[in-house]
Amino acid sequence: MSGLLAFLGDHTIQNVVIGATLLGIVSGVLGSFAVLRQQSLLGDTLAHAALPGICLGFIIAGARQIESILAGAFVTAVLAALVMLALTRNSRLKTDAGLGIALSIFFAIGVVLLTYIQGTGNASQGGLDAFLFGQAAAILRSDLVIMGGITLLSLALVAGFWKEFKLVTFDPVFAATQGLPVALLETLLTVIVAFAVVIGLQMVGVVLMAAMVIAPAVAARQWSRRLEQMVVLAAVFGVVSGLVGALISATGRGLSTGPLVILAATVLVIVSILFAPQRGVIWEEIKRGRDRRELGDNQVLTTLQGLARHHDDPAYPVEQGMLDTYHGLATRRALTRLARRGLVHPVRHMPDEGPHWELTPAGHAAARQVLVDIDAGGR
Amino acid sequence: MTVPENLHEPSLAVHVEDLTVSYHGKPVLWDIDVDIPPGVMAAVVGPNGAGKSTLIKTILGLVKPTAGHITLHGAPYSSQRKRVGYVPQRSSVDWDFPTTALDIVTMGLYGRLGWFRRPGRAERERALWALGEVRMADLADRQISQLSGGQQQRVFLARALVQEADVYFLDEPMAGVDATTERTIVALLHKLRDAGKTVIVVHHDLQTVQDYFDWMIILNIRVLAQGPVGEINTIGNLHKAYGSQIALLDRVQQAAEPREPVAESAQ
Repeated sequence: MSGLLAFLGDHTIQNVVIGATLLGIVSGVLGSFAVLRQQSLLGDTLAHAALPGICLGFIIAGARQIESILAGAFVTAVLAALVMLALTRNSRLKTDAGLGIALSIFFAIGVVLLTYIQGTGNASQGGLDAFLFGQAAAILRSDLVIMGGITLLSLALVAGFWKEFKLVTFDPVFAATQGLPVALLETLLTVIVAFAVVIGLQMVGVVLMAAMVIAPAVAARQWSRRLEQMVVLAAVFGVVSGLVGALISATGRGLSTGPLVILAATVLVIVSILFAPQRGVIWEEIKRGRDRRELGDNQVLTTLQGLARHHDDPAYPVEQGMLDTYHGLATRRALTRLARRGLVHPVRHMPDEGPHWELTPAGHAAARQVLVDIDAGGR
Repeated sequence: MTVPENLHEPSLAVHVEDLTVSYHGKPVLWDIDVDIPPGVMAAVVGPNGAGKSTLIKTILGLVKPTAGHITLHGAPYSSQRKRVGYVPQRSSVDWDFPTTALDIVTMGLYGRLGWFRRPGRAERERALWALGEVRMADLADRQISQLSGGQQQRVFLARALVQEADVYFLDEPMAGVDATTERTIVALLHKLRDAGKTVIVVHHDLQTVQDYFDWMIILNIRVLAQGPVGEINTIGNLHKAYGSQIALLDRVQQAAEPREPVAESAQ
């Protein structure tokens, strides 16, 4: 217990916890919009494009000064977004190509600048490597103030423009007919993803930041029925994975934070994709199996009815082997299920023949209903 | 009736003059004039790539014209927005969006709500009323991803209904929907028309034009014919738009105009 208190009392640990929380909230909330707008890779481009800004900020300030580094990161990230938009709007390039081009150009410039700075032998350049894969333990209290401010600003924007962002995300064309400035709102949504990227630079680093935008949102989508739920849940998932990854990194032996955070988020994604109700793989598999059984039962039921009608005897006993032949598979289990529902019951016909089945009155009614439903078609 | 002098062709619900629209230098609509009087239900028909959707999108300011002008009840769309309802193609959005049918319908009111105002009880009731009109009241809280295609289409129609517009534009509302939905949609559109609204529908099914509509515009890059459906829906006019595809239309037209000589449709 005292060990835990000492752990939480540790200044570095506190910084890591707060930083991971801020990052989780912002990337979860903004990532939800990016994922729903099918712009998951936007985060990737913006994050990579932050690298030249980080280096320029460092060069201009002459030291690892957080304000100028984050400002530089934000500026080049937004610049890359604008390059991408200009490419796609003014040429026949598709969005994925535009994102890819912007990403590689800006990241290449960033790597050139980074190696240049390392070559100058500047004493404080050691800190810059941390921006590639993130290093939670390097976060200072003063950094957190800036990160907190950006978080509040992003959340205020999302809250203020909530219904506009929702409509632009779901149906931008209809939004335009309503008189909403769609291009402006979409640019704003893009810019605030850059905020998330800037906050994540120290925690996760430019290379893996995209996953932090995508993973919590994708996991949250699995459990949500409404956008409100998805956004809140994505924030929670973001915080959880941020905390898990950052704490392991801060207490371990200099492990990079970014990969650990992303691995934690990945676990959440896998669990969500498998187990979420309604949308999860396992749930769907169970439902498919149930549908298949129900379909088989209905087929056997209508066959029984058809044979009863053919023989002009509502209580016509049908031999199981005949049903097996007709359906090309064993019908015993379907018949057992139908018997349990009181729709058929086994009868003894001739001692030397196999089991026989006949429809009960409820079975006749159920078979008629099946045919009515088929006639009505899927609404 | 005095007419403000800044209005242009105010007696027409839709007035399109000398409109040309092009994509990448290729004309999609070429020098077209369209006039639709108020209170009609008009079908816009034409083969694939005829520019039907483009015409509607241009009227709604979603596509910039290369040349020409458009007025709705005498004024440009930008000042008539509140009088116009729009039902886009169902396939234009991702229905896996996490929300309910009711929420989508409420979106039709966002424009008039204005910035920073949240939809409240009045908007909710309005949306529920519209869902009732399309016979979807019991599915108000259903996830939109779990709706059938026909139900999704009706949600879109309800979203346009809450707009309480004078002119409605619908882009292929009957494409790929079940018979129940088609009947519901047609009945509702007739109700709107009978209430004096103008309803303009991009329509793909030539067999039903005669039954559903009272106005018709045949389009294929150019406007080939427009007017009351009884005068316009002839095999000659359709031949101009559909060309060699006309063989497929024979049966349709024989039903509609038994006296039309069949020789006309020879390949």
